[in-house]
Amino acid sequence: MLRPGRMIRGMEETPAAPGPEHKEADPHAFNPKVTRFRVRGLNAYYGAKQVLFDVQMDIGAGEITAMIGPSGCGKSTFLRNLNRINETVSGARTEGEILLDDQNIMRMDVSALRRRVGMVFQRPNPFPKSIFDNVAYGLRINGYKKNLSESVEHSLRRAALWEEVKDQLHKSATALSGGQQQRLCIARALAVDPEVLLLDEPCSALDPVTTAKIEELLVQLKQTCTIVIVTHNMQQAARVSDFTAFLLEGRLIEYQATPKLFTNPADPRTEAYITGRFG
Amino acid sequence: MSTVSGNESAAAFPGAAGRAFGRRFWDFAGWSICGLAFVLLGGAMLWIMAMVLLRGFHALTIEVLTHVTEGYAGGLLNAIEGTLILGVGGILLALPPGLAAGIYMAEFDNGRLAPTIRFLADVLVGVPSIVIGYFGYVTMVVAFGWKFSVAAGSIALAIISLPYICRTTEMAIRQVPRSLREAAYALGASEGQVATGVYLPVALPGVLTGVLLALAISVGETAPLLYTAGWSNYLWTGHLTNEPVGYLTYAIWAFITEPFAGAHALAYAAALLVTVFVLIISILSRLFVK
Repeated sequence: MLRPGRMIRGMEETPAAPGPEHKEADPHAFNPKVTRFRVRGLNAYYGAKQVLFDVQMDIGAGEITAMIGPSGCGKSTFLRNLNRINETVSGARTEGEILLDDQNIMRMDVSALRRRVGMVFQRPNPFPKSIFDNVAYGLRINGYKKNLSESVEHSLRRAALWEEVKDQLHKSATALSGGQQQRLCIARALAVDPEVLLLDEPCSALDPVTTAKIEELLVQLKQTCTIVIVTHNMQQAARVSDFTAFLLEGRLIEYQATPKLFTNPADPRTEAYITGRFG
Repeated sequence: MSTVSGNESAAAFPGAAGRAFGRRFWDFAGWSICGLAFVLLGGAMLWIMAMVLLRGFHALTIEVLTHVTEGYAGGLLNAIEGTLILGVGGILLALPPGLAAGIYMAEFDNGRLAPTIRFLADVLVGVPSIVIGYFGYVTMVVAFGWKFSVAAGSIALAIISLPYICRTTEMAIRQVPRSLREAAYALGASEGQVATGVYLPVALPGVLTGVLLALAISVGETAPLLYTAGWSNYLWTGHLTNEPVGYLTYAIWAFITEPFAGAHALAYAAALLVTVFVLIISILSRLFVK
């Protein structure tokens, strides 16, 4: 079943996964960008191998920015530099400037940065603790002084998981299904009230129904949170994001409003990728 | 589809019968060698166990467990107590540096320090325990003036246990999936918080196994204690220095060569007790492996 109006050149909507309403190119839907992240001259290396070449990008507040590109193009590396989690990988090195609200993140306290910029990983990775303790972990380590239970409930509601687990908060998180675990990881990341949420292919290990739920979730979340999502699934990027960046072999090829990128890309390489000529 | 008949394809491979015989021969030879090796090793182990159990069993009377040694007779209570004190003391001393070094090597493997520590730990494992005893004697017993003491003996055992605790802690922490650590870091945890909250709880069984392994080795050590703890016929009075203590392995070493049947009995009893301790420790460590 093809839905009229959603036909994008070269791509059909997958019938099994209805997504949230796709924004047409309405200028009023995008506020003048308040820039959250300013990335300048980003070069990243793993040992001697360079994986990002002089990437320059502005990420807007209150928007969903998608990063697409073939495997190995550096999109995950880029994302991981935004909250400096790449520093935990031995041999990883970064040059360049990343500013979060005009503060250089390399000079910030890294724990404070990571509380403001949360991350959800590709495979759900809940701690082997109870559901409650998972969500409360971030609160506890950051010295949260107020009511823990209220905050945990609020985060689980934001992640659309509360109704399913409210009676079993003390059950082990590893007993949940994959989709529930991923939503738990989102709740855990949201618990510390981040300004930015980074998601690294969050739905790649999940079924289409759960994927749809999470996509709905992200669209709701962007009202309170800036979202950057790396995805392998171009339809997902088209469904969910306001802006899309296309990377190829470590270079930013094109970065613009999603409807424009998918219907009328400026660069021939972008067009080749989105029409499936290479993957 | 034509099927090639057995005879036709066999013609392409002459000498098959000879090769089959060769294969069967070497197969049999290989299995025989394995069987022989098993018999030798298993037999040797059974022989040792049998000797310790049979002779030790006869010698292990209630008196042995409740009285202290008097010359070459009496009991082994002082030795049992000494072994436990020295063993546990050695572990307690080795735990903090061992844990710290293990965590460091697993988490901060970025420069040259971690491989250096790893190398030194491996070298330390290879140092003969009598050399460690000699070192303990020269420094602690003589130079520090501690004489034969619990302090010197515990420190000597701690030096022996340290590399085992270090390496097993590192291995156990490396087993914790990287994804869990990343999740914790991504929430703003500091290294200390990630260590205590995330991977120590998960790595704990492995760490405990290492500790128990080190304890089992300490219980069986003789040479280092000969030069640091000395021997005493009395129970420990609580002094860390200037007071020697007894330990089971001394009884084995010293009493077996004496021309008294009573001394031999004590030696066998001590051997049985050491074996039983190591057995209990091994069983305990199995309980921790999930």
